[in-house]
Amino acid sequence: MGVSVGEELLEERRRRRRAGDPRLSDADRELLRRLTTGDLVDEFQAALDAVSAADPLIGGGETGNDE
Amino acid sequence: MIVIDEYIAARVVGGNWPAEMPDDELGLPASRHWRLLQALHGGRGGQLTQILSPLSPAGRDGIRHPHPEVLQVLDPRPLLDEAAILAARFGGTGLLTAETLAAGLAHGELWFGIPANVGRLLERAASELGVAVHVATT
Repeated sequence: MGVSVGEELLEERRRRRRAGDPRLSDADRELLRRLTTGDLVDEFQAALDAVSAADPLIGGGETGNDE
Repeated sequence: MIVIDEYIAARVVGGNWPAEMPDDELGLPASRHWRLLQALHGGRGGQLTQILSPLSPAGRDGIRHPHPEVLQVLDPRPLLDEAAILAARFGGTGLLTAETLAAGLAHGELWFGIPANVGRLLERAASELGVAVHVATT
């Protein structure tokens, strides 16, 4: 028995989701990779923490990194 | 739906899906999108604004307006009341933590990109609430 149309559509949707935003260039993808799993992770965290620290409504007196 | 943090959001926008994360629709709390946008637009992002400056216009748009097939920014309105209850219950929590907890309660689990972005208060509250917290390792 073959794959149903519904299964095909769900699989296609899953592939598109996992492929990321199709508008991004390879250079964009590489920069986001460095930011999230590479050499820029600490800078990314510092920037997020700075937003929380500067805005009590968001941070409530704590940052994401409250170790 | 899986509720994600800023790291996972930036990863999946770039097509870098964590290997161990289940396949499901993704939701980013609005306050976490706000932190990303502040960093991107230079409001309070400091050095990160410079780091992100090489992003192409399409790359910036991928953060500003996430592709709906990749992730959705969660509507904060249905979460606000529970978030306020949780903020009162746990104390000292801002909207970021309270909204993330409320989203985790509504959708079942939270995924973070690195341990440092979880925060001790969220970790403790999630444990008490029975909300699963995962950190991607791949």
